[in-house]
Amino acid sequence: MPVPEEDTNARIVGNLAVLPIKTQFKGPSLPCMDPYDIIDEVLDLFRANTFFKNFEIKGASDRTLIYGILFVSQALNALSPNTNQNEAVRILTNLSLEDFAIPGDIGFPLNALYLPPSTKNDAVFLRQYLAQFRQELASRLIQRLYLTDSTKPSKFWLAFGKKKFMNKSL
Amino acid sequence: MSSINTPAVVMDNGTGFTKLGFAGNDSPSWVFPTAIATRNTSTGSSSKPMAPSKPSFLSSGTGNSNSLIAGSNANSKASSIHGNRDMADLDFYIGDYALEAAKGPSYSLSYPIRHGQIENWDQMERFWETSIFKYLKCEPEDHYFLLTEPPLNPPENRENTAEIMFESFNCAGLYIAVQAVLALAASWTSSKVIDRSLTGTVIDSGDGVTHVIPVAEGYVIGSAIKNIPIAGRDITSFIQTMLRERGEADSSLRTAEQIKQQFCYVCPDIVKEFRKYDNDPEMFAKYIVDTVSHKKIEVDVGYERFLAPEIFFNPEICSSDFLTPLPIIVDQVIQASPIDVRKNLYKNIVLSGGSTMFKDFGRRLQRDLKTMVNERVEASERLSGAKSSGVQVQVISHKRQRNAVWFGGSLMAQTSEFKSYCHTKRDYDEYGPNIVRNFSLFSVP
Repeated sequence: MPVPEEDTNARIVGNLAVLPIKTQFKGPSLPCMDPYDIIDEVLDLFRANTFFKNFEIKGASDRTLIYGILFVSQALNALSPNTNQNEAVRILTNLSLEDFAIPGDIGFPLNALYLPPSTKNDAVFLRQYLAQFRQELASRLIQRLYLTDSTKPSKFWLAFGKKKFMNKSL
Repeated sequence: MSSINTPAVVMDNGTGFTKLGFAGNDSPSWVFPTAIATRNTSTGSSSKPMAPSKPSFLSSGTGNSNSLIAGSNANSKASSIHGNRDMADLDFYIGDYALEAAKGPSYSLSYPIRHGQIENWDQMERFWETSIFKYLKCEPEDHYFLLTEPPLNPPENRENTAEIMFESFNCAGLYIAVQAVLALAASWTSSKVIDRSLTGTVIDSGDGVTHVIPVAEGYVIGSAIKNIPIAGRDITSFIQTMLRERGEADSSLRTAEQIKQQFCYVCPDIVKEFRKYDNDPEMFAKYIVDTVSHKKIEVDVGYERFLAPEIFFNPEICSSDFLTPLPIIVDQVIQASPIDVRKNLYKNIVLSGGSTMFKDFGRRLQRDLKTMVNERVEASERLSGAKSSGVQVQVISHKRQRNAVWFGGSLMAQTSEFKSYCHTKRDYDEYGPNIVRNFSLFSVP
């Protein structure tokens, strides 16, 4: 079972690590110095991890990773085999900005594993961070999906949308 | 006494496939499913209405006495039951023909061997009869026979086998060898093997189950054997699921099986392997299916190339109830064996069966196992403060892996001493079936 490396310096909200990401999207994330950030990690581990039903959470960054993986699943399911790249950008931008639940909200499916943010300010911060995180993830996912052909997404990637990591989905 | 010069017959009847051939050959002459298709009995009400219509004009002249057509028993009564049953006994197919015949309504298919052991002796006798007379086309009284059995086969089964071989077929001599021991012998062809011992761990993976069997000096350590419910069939169905999820044009079982045999391999690390596919589109392959109508269908082959064999090393990706990876099972088996043979069991891990044929299967197993063993050695060194002499872990792959058991049998049976280890027809007549309870082991040449 592939596991990400723990980053102890990151700010922790609830029990989710707010890891810096490389991004042009607006949001509260700190600039990332590392050329390889959590988004890359999510995309690299996504395909291998979707096969696993059990995942041992060792730290706060694992929760960020799980959230990312589940978001990728959701994004893949939003696309169909003949969506072209421009449409995909539109669909996934909507998906990442739509009204989504954050840990502690009633509709959030992983409340068993995630603690709610302790203050209202934290909640606002977390929502902004996740919005930024989702946009960046969606944008880099699209790069991978349309690497060879801009008219349709890679079917090899799309097939992974059917798998349910930890039997959960966002 | 023509049996002096004729080669011995080597028969390896497995749960899935039977391997048939003569000793001294490199590979079996016939490999076919251990299946038999027998004529449905007329007691089934569904077959009754069909039977009289066909042979009515044939049997009209002879009344309702024994008709030549075995299935025409529907209109006959007690007088001909005996005769008809005899004819029905001759009406069966084995192997691929059995699978073919069973597609029709009048034959039913059965597999006389379950979990490696013979369950239906009557069918097995007919299966052997056809194997000998229609496939091998030999006179059993001129040949010695080497048969195989699974580990922990009850001695009564050996007696039954001997009874059939000697009394029904009158064969010249018989040796029954344990499959795992033959698999060890087959590995002697590998250049890595130097001492030709009959000690080692055999990993035998066929279609249905995978066995891990420790063998010490030719004797199976029965208490330490472990089975894994993951084998060829699971890999095939895993590939099939992946093809379906991707919506490939053809996702039949046959296609999945072909992809498994032609494209699959074991990778050192799945996450890195995914990246390799991203960087090099050449890794994706295409499999072309020839359909009956001569249309060619292209099926893309992707990550299943390395993910499918990965289920041995990470069973979690395909099953939810069995989660222990193969290297851990092998380690547990060796740890459960007597301490004085453990080192030799680690040193000689032998692969056998079609599902161990994936490229780098042995390498990955060796690496994973070595990591585990080294960690343990280090921990014990740390605790005791004494320096360990180390444990050598070696997994042996060789060219004859697919039919390793049969090939090992072929090697054994071609030696000049083979006949002296067999029980002959004369011994059998003299002492009875219980002589086959014991066979002396081959001494190592």
